[in-house]
Amino acid sequence: MNLALIMPELMVTGLAFIVLAIALLIPRNQQKNLGYITLVGLLGVLINTFIYSDGDQQLFNNMFIVDSYAVFFKVLFIIASILVVLAAIRYVERISERQGEFYVLVLFATLGMMILASAGDLITFYLGLELMTIACYILTAYHRGNKKSSEAGIKYLILGALSSAILLYGLSIIYGLTGTTTMIIIAKTVNQIGMNPVFLVANIFILCGLAFKISAVPFHMWAPDVYEGAPTPIAAFLAVASKTAGFAVLIRFFLYLMPEVSASWITLLGIIAGLTMVLGNLVAIPQTNIKRLLAYSGIAHAGYLLLGVLAFSKDGVMAVLFYLAIYLFANIGAFMTAGCFVNSTGSNQIKDYAGLSRRSPFLAIAMLLSLLSLAGIPPLAGFVGKFYLFTSIIAKEHYLLAFIAVIMNTVSVYYYLQVVRMMYFKEAESNEKIIISNPVKLVLTLTMTATLFLGIYPGPVTSIANQVAINFF
Amino acid sequence: MYEFNGIAIFFILGLGLPISALIGSHILSPKKSSPQKYLTYECGLDTRGETWVQFKICYFLYALVFLVFDVETIFLYPWAVTFKQLGTFAFVEMFIFIAILIIGFVYAWKEGALEWF
Repeated sequence: MNLALIMPELMVTGLAFIVLAIALLIPRNQQKNLGYITLVGLLGVLINTFIYSDGDQQLFNNMFIVDSYAVFFKVLFIIASILVVLAAIRYVERISERQGEFYVLVLFATLGMMILASAGDLITFYLGLELMTIACYILTAYHRGNKKSSEAGIKYLILGALSSAILLYGLSIIYGLTGTTTMIIIAKTVNQIGMNPVFLVANIFILCGLAFKISAVPFHMWAPDVYEGAPTPIAAFLAVASKTAGFAVLIRFFLYLMPEVSASWITLLGIIAGLTMVLGNLVAIPQTNIKRLLAYSGIAHAGYLLLGVLAFSKDGVMAVLFYLAIYLFANIGAFMTAGCFVNSTGSNQIKDYAGLSRRSPFLAIAMLLSLLSLAGIPPLAGFVGKFYLFTSIIAKEHYLLAFIAVIMNTVSVYYYLQVVRMMYFKEAESNEKIIISNPVKLVLTLTMTATLFLGIYPGPVTSIANQVAINFF
Repeated sequence: MYEFNGIAIFFILGLGLPISALIGSHILSPKKSSPQKYLTYECGLDTRGETWVQFKICYFLYALVFLVFDVETIFLYPWAVTFKQLGTFAFVEMFIFIAILIIGFVYAWKEGALEWF
């Protein structure tokens, strides 16, 4: 047994306990340094994840898979949590006197996601999923005394528990049919017995559970309410990392396990993807709250990403991986701008963004680049990502879905540009400057650089994603 | 099948005893009904006032802390039984496991989970 393979997970666990222990020892008013300790630790984990990135290996009788696919996702999760922790330092200080727990919970959620990306067994899969989700429930309700935050936490808890129950039922049916929880053996058995009505039901249940995590229609209802109520860094974390984790396991589960029975779930995914794109984009138009707007845009993006999954090809997987990477930067950029704005003005309303370009040119440009990247406007990363996604689906001749995707993407430009119009072409009601703390400035600079860089020169990430996708098929 | 006869007898006796006790008490007991006997059972006392009341749920914290030790014991028993074969690695592993649980317990203690207020 080679423990070096699970080193990143062990390090995150260790870091979480160290932060928890330090939080117990030092007084409450000095706890903001915990954020920096967490950051340094996570950077160490990131480096470590890169180092042990060679070869496909299994641990604990195939319960835990370490391959380039898992490592790719782990790097994404760690980058997401680094950005979230960095941006949350001032935010947590403001909303709560307890800061240690915040970082510990973010670390545990990251750990859950990392386990999820490596899951080679239904039990590891469920364990990772629950570790991530339970930490996220608490983080959502972290703003104590705030009604919206508590409401969001309760809603997320109840709906999340329901979706977990459905998922678990699906997993138990699969266990009943195949007599094992190891994914490789399940794949063999499934390809022997072929399509079976009971098996189809199990597939649908699992798809329901995962569609909840990636907030695909019709399991999207929680997303706007939860993002609106949750502390903004956590909303970003849910919108980015939790969704990425959902995709990590969705792709592994359906592409790895069910290639022989792909016809049954491709139709299903196609319907879900179409609905998700249409509903997400159309409902985003009338939104007046920036976080709800971003939530619906996130729902629409789940639809685009599903296209890459159901293309069921190397190019499709590559497109999804690349898009998830750039989606991370664009979305965190947008959410953190909103978080910074609400921190100094107390408002999440889009109409209050009027004249932001004069009140804070830096915030306005950060929001502009993130939104344009999400909309897929050429020099930015979003364009390249969408280009790969749509070509992968057209190559598989799903013309109707590609048509819906392109039309809906055009619709999405409208509501993104509404925010831009507010920021640049409307007069501000107050001329008060907006204060941006240094950590948030750093996060926004990083996300802007990444969004621009990957748009102009996507080569490095696409070649890595391509390599991962080749290994996968 | 011969060796299972003991279990069969044990099973039949185990099933028969409570059933006969129930039937016996049903036959022998005097049947005098009073209105109180038809009330909802609530610890033997009459219900007073509103039944929709708020009460403290502090005990759930005790339950959680209890769980910490419960899980610990579940793992400690099999570990102790095969301790000699497992060697030093398992010894260190168990200490890490206990350390993790203790951090959780200290956290609960420090945050006042053990105080009833």
